[in-house]
Formats: sequence, C-alpha cells, structure tokens
Amino acid sequence: MSWLEISKFLNEKLSLEYVKNELVKTAYGTEENLLTKLDPRVLLIWYCYFAIVPWFIHSHVVLIGYLLFMLFLTYRAKVSPLILGVMGLGLLGEMLILFIISLLFGGDLETVLPMVWLCIKLGGISLASVAVFTSINPEKFSDALLRLGFPAQFSFSVAYAYRILPTLLEEFQQIILSYRLRGLAPEKSGLFYWRKIVYFLIVFIRSFYPLILNSAKRSRTTVEALETKGFTYGANNLQMIKLKTGYLKLTYNDYAFTMISIFYLIIVHALHYVL
Amino acid sequence: MSRRKCAVLKKPYELTQSQKMMVFILSMSLYGLSNMFTELVPSAQLGVIELKIDAFAFIPLTLCMLFHPLYAAIGASVGELIFGELMLGQFGGIGEVEKFILFSLGMCIGGMLVRNPQIKSQVAIGAISGYGIFLVLATIVDILKVVVGVEEFEAVPGLAKSIFVVEGVEFLNDFVFSGTLFTLLPTLYLVPRLYGKIEPLLGMKPRDNKVHYSLTKVFTPKLIAISLVLTAIAFVTQAISESDFELGVWEPEFVETYGSQVIWVVIGVSAFCSLMIIGYLLRKGKEAKGDTNHLA
Repeated sequence: MSWLEISKFLNEKLSLEYVKNELVKTAYGTEENLLTKLDPRVLLIWYCYFAIVPWFIHSHVVLIGYLLFMLFLTYRAKVSPLILGVMGLGLLGEMLILFIISLLFGGDLETVLPMVWLCIKLGGISLASVAVFTSINPEKFSDALLRLGFPAQFSFSVAYAYRILPTLLEEFQQIILSYRLRGLAPEKSGLFYWRKIVYFLIVFIRSFYPLILNSAKRSRTTVEALETKGFTYGANNLQMIKLKTGYLKLTYNDYAFTMISIFYLIIVHALHYVL
Repeated sequence: MSRRKCAVLKKPYELTQSQKMMVFILSMSLYGLSNMFTELVPSAQLGVIELKIDAFAFIPLTLCMLFHPLYAAIGASVGELIFGELMLGQFGGIGEVEKFILFSLGMCIGGMLVRNPQIKSQVAIGAISGYGIFLVLATIVDILKVVVGVEEFEAVPGLAKSIFVVEGVEFLNDFVFSGTLFTLLPTLYLVPRLYGKIEPLLGMKPRDNKVHYSLTKVFTPKLIAISLVLTAIAFVTQAISESDFELGVWEPEFVETYGSQVIWVVIGVSAFCSLMIIGYLLRKGKEAKGDTNHLA
C-alpha cells in the first residue's frame, strides 16, 4: 500500500461521519446474535458477576479462562472495530507508559508482569461489558431496569438516550458546519497542526451555546409529553410497572445460557487446582 | 404588591417535579453527548505528559450554576454512564459507582459556590474548585484501585513509585490542561450568556442572588444514607481484596485430601453437561429454523 492509500484509508476511518455511523451502529446494534435472544434481566445479572468478581481473583489460570470466554462472546456479538480499537489502544498505551516509567525507577520486565495480569483482568471485564451492551436492545434494557427496581427516571433516561442520540449528533454536526461556513479557518496549519486544532476546539465549544438552548427546548417538550402520559404517576405504581414489563419472560435459552456459564466457571475454577 | 414580591423572593429556590426532570434530562443528554467525544478523541503524547481531554466539565458546571446544582450534577453523571459507558460498551463495574458519586459531588459543590451567576469571579472560583475537588478525589481513588488490583504491590520494586508518579502527572495534566481550556474558559463564556435566556425555555425564573437553597432539603437523610452505604461497600471490597482472601482458592487443602482425579472428574462432568446443553440448543435452533421455513 502506498502512503496515499494509507492516508486515504485513515481519513475514511477517522472521519466524523464514520465515527457517527459506528456510534449509531453500536447503540442500535439489534443484529441477531447469541446474546440478543436472552432476557435482558438475565444478561444484566450475568454481567454484574463478570464485572465485579474478577477484581478479587488473582489466579492466572482463572483470569485467562475468563478472558477466553469473553473473547468468544465478543466475537459472537459482532462488536464494532472502532470500539475494540479504542479499548485495545487504551490498555496497551497504559501498559507501555507504566513500563517506561518503571524502567526509569530501576525496575525491569519483572515490574511490568503484575501489570500484564491486571491488563488481562481489565480486558476480560471490559470485553464482557462491550459484548453485553452492544447486543442489548435499549427498549428491553430500560424495561429490565425498571423491573429490577431501578428508579423510573434512570430507566427512562436509558431509553431516551438511545432514542435522542442520532438527533443530537445530527444537530451538533449541523451547528459545527454552520460555524465553519461563517468563520474563517486559519490558512497555515502551524507546527503539529496547532492552529487548526485550536480553531476546531473553539468552534466545538462555541457550538454548545446554541446546542444547550435547543436541548433545553427539547427537554421541556419531552417532559410535557411524559407528564401528559402520566409518567410520574405510573412510575410510582407497581401494578403499572408489572403490566408494562409483562412481556419479559424467561425461556429455555436463558436457562441454557445460565447453566453453560455456571459449568464453564466450575471448569475454570477447577482447572486452577490441577494446572 | 411589593410585599408579595418580597415573599416570593424569600422563598427558597425550589423546582417542581417536572422542572427537576427537565434539568435532569437537559444535563444528561448534553454531557452524555460531549462524553462520547472525549471517550473517542485520541490523546496526544508529549513524552510523559499526555495531552488528553479528560472531560468537558464546563457543561455540567454551567448547568449547575444556572439551575439547581443537585439535579444538574446527577443528570450529568447519569449521562456519562449511559452515553459514554453503556452505549460504547465501556462500563467499568465498581469504578463507575465511585466516579458517579465523585463527579456529582464535585459538580454540585461547584454549582453551590456560585451565588450570582453574573459575577465572573464567582463563576471562575466555582468552576475551578468544582473540577478540582473531583480530580483530587478521583486521583486518590485511582491510586487505591491499582493498589487493590495488583497482587504484592509493595513487593514489586519501582511499581509503587511509578504509579504515584503516573497518577500525579495525570492529575496535574488534567487540572492544568482540561481545567483551564475545557472547564474555566468555556464556563466563563457560557454562564453569563445563557443566564436569563435559558431559564424561560424551561418555564422558570432565573436564579438571583437573593435566592438560597435549604441545605436540609438537598441533603436528605436518604441521600446521605445511600452515599454512606456505597462508600462503606467500596471500602469493604477494598479491604477484602487487600487481605489474602481469594475467590478462586477458598480451600487449598481440597486437592490434597481428594487427589487431582476428583477435580478432573468434576471438569469432565461439567464439560459433558455443557456439551449436552449446547447439543440440545443446536437441535432446538434447527427445529425453529425448520418451522419458519415451513411457514414461509
């Protein structure tokens, strides 16, 4: 690949449009996969285990077992490469910096070894969350939270956030574009593009002024619509919540998934004694 | 007439249920959106110093100064949780609870320090101290987290020092870089401009300097109890993992008494059961596919 092609490829991959599309795809990832068939409540409880318990595990065999399980699920959940890339870079970068700094303080490769295991641990935990939250349907997710006893405001916010995201992104992009149309971009890019970067940051921050005003109007409309439907009353009414979330039912899929997870955990923890 | 006006002014700053919800939703969606960008924008490395946009803290701070600080602060934290973590699949478990409390606390204090949003010096002090309080607390928690996560923290030479240095540099960098460029200056730009313009859009009066909050209403016993319980949980989990307690090895004598064959048997049985379930699922899946084909 020539340099031109590489820069073109990078341009395509890093453009605002690509990021926007990937975000929307991640947020609305309703593609059928292994995890979407499950009851969201089961997924949430399952996730709670894999988000908290690994922190207390120091056994290397068990940690690798957890990571393998998560890798498999992430593969099956078809997670967006952008998200995986951001995550991987973050983990690797952190390790690299720590390694360089510990070298300065007289450490060597041994110093980094515990950090590698910490990274494996963190990797397993973050992969679990990526797999779960890209394959969970926002509507179902919100209802599951409501059923599990979270405040109605919170569960509404989840559904609202997923709904409003494309609108917000679209509007934000338009405001930025209109600022750029009216403004004068710097002619020279300067050392390390600092002029361009400063210019874009100023545009970015100033764009929030109209955006805040527009969002204020929208949030008023939203709340008025909610209250017309009796949101506050309904949120405090147990029977209403039961009626609303009545469609959430456990099927053989959920039982099978839970059982397989438990058996896998037994295998991994047992392997710890043998290996 | 004038007496009635006086009575109105003396009333503590209170919002109705739907106004609280409006402030909450406004803060949530705006800070959430900005958080998505901060999660994705790459950082520029200048040697050890990492130029990174930590957070666009000016958004929650602006809203905390203009409206009721508590609802704006909690809204912002919820927004970060949903847009920045759940939607991008980067939810971090227990750490998020800590960040939620710390960030809300910092923003809330920042908003409460400002009595009159039109005085620039007050806005500046509020912005810097709100963000600063959050950063100091977050740095302490970060150091504790590595201490908890890494086995034999003290035993590894150089690791303890390097982590203090990394966290210290990161704190200074965040405070100087994000603190001025993305907190102080934008807040100074936005607050006086929005004051008096945004409130009518939500159907409320602008805050004025005679207005005061009743602290007992903001910090209800329930809120204090919940934060105390959460702090206690965080502390206990840290204490447990710092001691030798491990979930993976709860009975070391187990192997010696029964021999390793028993464990292999356990593994075999579990593997067999999982295979059975997978086989059952595959058959069921095929049947379901067959049914839909039949219907089609």
